[in-house]
Amino acid sequence: MLSRRDFLKLVVKGAILGNFYQLISPPLAEAVAAGEVKKLPVVMIETGTCTGDSISLDNIWTPTFSDILTNILDWRYDWTMNQVQGEAAYRILQDTYENMPNEYILIVQGSMIQRDAGHYNHVAYENGKLITGIELVRRIGLKAKYVVAIGSCATYGGPVSGYPNPTQSTGVQNILPERRVINVSGCPAHPDWIMGTLLHLALYGEPELEKFGRPKLFYGETVHNRCPRRKDYDQGIFATEIGQKECLFRVGCKGPVTYADCPIRRWNDRFNWPIGCNTPCIGCTEPGYPDLMSPFTAHLPDIPFPGGTKVNTDAIGLGVLGLTSIAITGHITTSLFKGRIQKNLLKTSVKAQHRPALKKVKTFHQYWPKKS
Amino acid sequence: MKHHIKLRKPLMKQLKKSNVKGTIVQSQPLWVRIFHWGFTASLTIVILSGLQLHKPASFLALNFSKVLTAHIVFGWFSLGFLAIRIADSFIRRDDSLIPKIQDLRHFPQLMSYCFFLRSSPPPARKYNSGQLLIYFSWFVLFLLSSFLGLVSYWQGEHLIWVWRLIGGFQVLRWTKFITTIYFLATIPIHIYLSLTEDISRLQAMVTGYERKSPPNNR
Ligand code: HEM
Ligand code: SF4
Ligand code: SF4
Repeated sequence: MLSRRDFLKLVVKGAILGNFYQLISPPLAEAVAAGEVKKLPVVMIETGTCTGDSISLDNIWTPTFSDILTNILDWRYDWTMNQVQGEAAYRILQDTYENMPNEYILIVQGSMIQRDAGHYNHVAYENGKLITGIELVRRIGLKAKYVVAIGSCATYGGPVSGYPNPTQSTGVQNILPERRVINVSGCPAHPDWIMGTLLHLALYGEPELEKFGRPKLFYGETVHNRCPRRKDYDQGIFATEIGQKECLFRVGCKGPVTYADCPIRRWNDRFNWPIGCNTPCIGCTEPGYPDLMSPFTAHLPDIPFPGGTKVNTDAIGLGVLGLTSIAITGHITTSLFKGRIQKNLLKTSVKAQHRPALKKVKTFHQYWPKKS
Repeated sequence: MKHHIKLRKPLMKQLKKSNVKGTIVQSQPLWVRIFHWGFTASLTIVILSGLQLHKPASFLALNFSKVLTAHIVFGWFSLGFLAIRIADSFIRRDDSLIPKIQDLRHFPQLMSYCFFLRSSPPPARKYNSGQLLIYFSWFVLFLLSSFLGLVSYWQGEHLIWVWRLIGGFQVLRWTKFITTIYFLATIPIHIYLSLTEDISRLQAMVTGYERKSPPNNR
């Protein structure tokens, strides 16, 4: 069987050559066939989501998603991929929950909608009762072997929790504090990130996680540090408009604050990626996306004010400086008008009319003018 | 600090020759002056390079890695000068930069002086309460910004708890930017007041000596 070290090497090599699964699946399929690894049962619950991560996952090129499903993982419950529906489908989820505790992986896609006890997000119908997303995720999550949150919404709340967050959405970790949630963030998450994490779980257990609970093997380095335009940045050569070939920092690139391996892995079967087609990275893998990353064309986030307006940080800076200048100018004018500046300057600098001789008083270092 | 001073002979002569009114006192010891101007120069570079890092001015076409290096190097310089000032204040047991309740009590009067409702400022220790608050806030914010700068320098390798505490890299950058705005808004006020309130105290920041008008001459 593939050693963990070889696997980690393949993660990088596969990213650069673009054939991660070609490299990884034959040894995996062998291992499964030889009974060295068990096919891991997987269930996916979709909560407040656009299903973008399923679509992204579907974009695995070679081998196809179906190869992986038939050979490596036991994909049991997933709204997008289910071949049955209604009761029959839901029964599979319940079966998995009851018969395979601490064996299955729970994948969550979509944010946890908390407003009004989660009743804006119903995900199941059970004995005449509507089940909310939070409730099902908690129930299934507590008995899962691993809980994997995929996409920005499930990991940190994502666009669904964007300002002013009317549904009080949040990430899975916040409603499942008892479990360590493995965060595979991204909007959407790259298919390699999702599948790579699942394969690591199947073969070697939990991967090493970084500060925000993401697998280090994909999220260990900033986009900026591996960006092919980094040399432009270092030399201060910047694009002034989106669409130009230089470093996109000035037009809001979030590469310096975003941890992901997009520059080497790239997207759509490694065909291209945002910076490759001259638009800035929007920081989709970071907590706080999209609020902290928008406007996507500006460097710092806008500041929300009560009442729902947002003000650009630079505008606030300029505003404060403008007010200060106005205040100082006003003060100078008034002081001059009232004669305060003149008085102060005279009092603190003007010499006496006639030359007083100095007289030593009390202590040797104090001098008083002699009355003449 | 108005303690015993020995004026050098030539200086005495000069003073005698010129028409000095009032008392000559030493108000800014050498280390305070070194701190002040060193800190001013370094912090100016830190702030300007910080703004460049925030939004590069394309027409300058500065080498960005050098801008970052300058920002960090002069950040350390500023920190060094600040350390001098702190050490100095311990040695001299000088608490003139620490706001006390007694200072704050004069603050409303000072404000009414600023808004021309009073003709003279209220009595103060070494610095008036307004200046004192500005200086003190600078120290606090400068240390905060330096610390956040260190955190972002390490890019999440160390001090991860700070990231978690404040909510990530973007918030960190944002906080630094806002403190810079605060500096940029308060430094002109400080300079304006130093130039127009008591010019002999500006002189004291250069020569160390300040001329106090004799009390009976006010
Ligand atoms: C070039 C413009 C500047 C001038 C003319 C100036 C002038 C002065 C003067 C006259 C004082 C003494 C105030 C008093 O005794 O009432 C002072 C103190 C001080 N200034 Fe400035 N200043 C300048 C720039 C700055 C800058 C950029 C900073 C940094 C933020 C700064 C930080 C301070 C601090 C912290 C003190 C208190 C010094 C101490 O007692 O240790 N100054 N300045
Ligand atoms: S384009 Fe973005 S990620 Fe690339 S060097 Fe510039 S700022 Fe960094
Ligand atoms: S380049 Fe940036 S915005 Fe694009 S997918 Fe990667 S991390 Fe997300």
